[in-house]
Amino acid sequence: MLTTVHDALEKLLQNPRVWRGSQRNAVADTITNTQESPGTAYPTGYIKLDRHLPGGGWPRHALTEILLKDYGTGELKLLMPALARLSNADEVHPAASCGSGEAGWIAWIAPPFQPYPPALLQWGINLAHILIVHSRRGVEALWAAEQALSSGNCAAVLVWSDVLDNKASRRLQLAAEKGRSWAIAFRPLEAAAQSSAAALRIALNAGERGTDIRILKSRGGRPVTVSGVIHDFIHDYAG
Amino acid sequence: MPPPDKLPARRDGQTPPANPEQQSLFLAPLPELSTPGELPVYANRACVRQLWLCIHLPSLPLEALKARNEAIEAVFENQQGNRRVLLTSPRVGQLGVTPGMSINAAVALMPTLTLEERNAEKESRALERLAAWAERFTSVVSLEPPDLLLLEIRGSLQLFGDIRDLRQQVESGLLDQGFKPSIAIAPTALASTWLARAGKNASIDDMRNLTGALSPLPLRCLEWPQPVRESLNGMGIYCIGDCLRLPRGGFAKRFGAARLLQLDRALGRLPDPRKGYRAPERFCEECELCEEQDHSERLLTVCRQLLSNLERFLTTRQIEVRHVQFSFFHLRQPATHLALGCVQAGRRTEQWCELLAIRFDRLTLPEPVIAIRLRSGAAQSMQADAGNLFQGKGRQHSTSITHLMERLSARIGDEAVHGITTVAEHRPQYAWCTAEAKGRLPPCAAMPNNWYAQASPLLLTDMRRTSSLLLRRPLWMLPQPLPLATPRGHPEYHGPLKLLDGPERLETGWWDGNGIARDYYVAINSKGVHLWIYQTRNREATWHLHGIFG
Repeated sequence: MLTTVHDALEKLLQNPRVWRGSQRNAVADTITNTQESPGTAYPTGYIKLDRHLPGGGWPRHALTEILLKDYGTGELKLLMPALARLSNADEVHPAASCGSGEAGWIAWIAPPFQPYPPALLQWGINLAHILIVHSRRGVEALWAAEQALSSGNCAAVLVWSDVLDNKASRRLQLAAEKGRSWAIAFRPLEAAAQSSAAALRIALNAGERGTDIRILKSRGGRPVTVSGVIHDFIHDYAG
Repeated sequence: MPPPDKLPARRDGQTPPANPEQQSLFLAPLPELSTPGELPVYANRACVRQLWLCIHLPSLPLEALKARNEAIEAVFENQQGNRRVLLTSPRVGQLGVTPGMSINAAVALMPTLTLEERNAEKESRALERLAAWAERFTSVVSLEPPDLLLLEIRGSLQLFGDIRDLRQQVESGLLDQGFKPSIAIAPTALASTWLARAGKNASIDDMRNLTGALSPLPLRCLEWPQPVRESLNGMGIYCIGDCLRLPRGGFAKRFGAARLLQLDRALGRLPDPRKGYRAPERFCEECELCEEQDHSERLLTVCRQLLSNLERFLTTRQIEVRHVQFSFFHLRQPATHLALGCVQAGRRTEQWCELLAIRFDRLTLPEPVIAIRLRSGAAQSMQADAGNLFQGKGRQHSTSITHLMERLSARIGDEAVHGITTVAEHRPQYAWCTAEAKGRLPPCAAMPNNWYAQASPLLLTDMRRTSSLLLRRPLWMLPQPLPLATPRGHPEYHGPLKLLDGPERLETGWWDGNGIARDYYVAINSKGVHLWIYQTRNREATWHLHGIFG
């Protein structure tokens, strides 16, 4: 009797949808050791947000979902500091540990508009490591994202797809783990009701007074709303 | 009498007159000798010592056809309406089907026999392919149709060890490709040809052994016309040795100076220049299928075979290509073409196969395929990889991003996958281009990709703080400016817009006819979306949306 219960429990724990509290401890341990080890997260560049994310930043080698209602509500601005560091720095991407000395590539798959190089440059992104893929926004975009993630050359992969569902999110998550890459998927706000395998899901709520960030799901963290992360445009530059 | 001290000076200044006797040795006419065998080997001193390897392919008509269809076991030839068996495979030969037999008799003996008519075009193509392959052994390959290849190997011996090793490599290479050769090596091209035709696996390195080796060869190796051979036979002459004992003058008169010349060349008395074969710069090979085929797996197998031939071709020539084109031929419809390209010139079969498999999935063939042709694009010389002595992973990393780009562009399209870069230009729509287009820009307009990052991190933060140096640019750009409605005199986009910052005036562009005159503003709508809009500075003063601050 006892063994069957034990077996059932083991089976349950094998399910990839279940993540255990002990994993969180592992995360917490690495936070305390950030001085020695590179850590398990990319700092977002926004201190207010970092404070609420496990590991103090975007989860590494995992899928992050950003849910938003309209493009232009700060979704790129939120990512820019981390992407800038990834595109320039050698030590962040695991490839550096192989002695390649090369920074990671950042792939943009099926972006809704044209990413504008002068603005990317202003954010400090190294344009030599940008790869734009104008695919159709359906399954093709997911295929391209999976290829880019699992190739192991891309430090980050940004994907806009209309057909991203739970199954696709799991595939992206696995590909990100395999290629040691960071996947960022942009989805409409309605997707918040669907389940997802993403390690981090955040929703952007834009208003006239700035954008609030709602953390919907955070592996090892807890849901919370962080307001005033992305300031008004003018303040952003004025410091 | 000049003073004795002047003599040495004059000797140094001008060369002494040549000995008239020495000069006459080269100018004098050929001494008239009694027999062809006794002419002095004077020409050999002037020319470089050579060593020729001759590949004779006695069953080429059969082997050339077998490459396409393994089942063929005999070839027939149409001789004035009589269809006679020309060649058979050993298995069929044992069953009694012999060359010269009429094909009716052959089929009567063996009803399951697969026959095909001899195809001279295929034979010459097969021979040419082998010549291209043989270029790996030497730079001097000579094509001697219909069934001979000559390789000058004196210069290659150092690399390949010795004669025996080289011979072994040539032989096993030919056997791998399905050709059974007869190989002979001799110091002159003709001697090696005759030895190979006679089926003697001789390897003669020394000129002195040549006459002895050639003498016993029957006259048929010379491939002289039947009447000449018959009249020689009538004189009791059956082998080359008999020929060499004849008087030169009489021999030339009876059988023609050309035949005497051949004998002289074979024995190395006269030089025998050969025309070298040069493989074509581009690869083009066709493969006919036995039957109409629409099974994609089987078609891919054929394509793989063609690609591995391409790889062999490219490796031999030390070149690589960036584009190849497959053509699938149908019985009734025009051919379907499939062009493949890769970012980095590649020549590995697997690499092309992977791209092909991706594209093939999406290819719709109107009809079953009867033949496939592979053509290579323009070639470039191969670039060797500079490996890292300590950790060889750096190069690998950078090649695999191109690998990824190839895979993506194979499925999505070449134009859809690109990098981006900035252009030194004040008009927003021209301030960027794809990384591929950067090479076409004038040097003054092309900017280094990371000048900004290289500047200095301090400067960067400083610039961002003060913001006076930084012009505000949106992260998202619309491909075309979107005209905005102005229902109440103010621009609207998903609600009324509030102007936050501006104007920033951008003007002119007379040099290319695309001049602009615009006032750019940063605006926010009721949903909190930051927009980059402009008002044209003409009479209409229309509003447009140009970018979104992501």
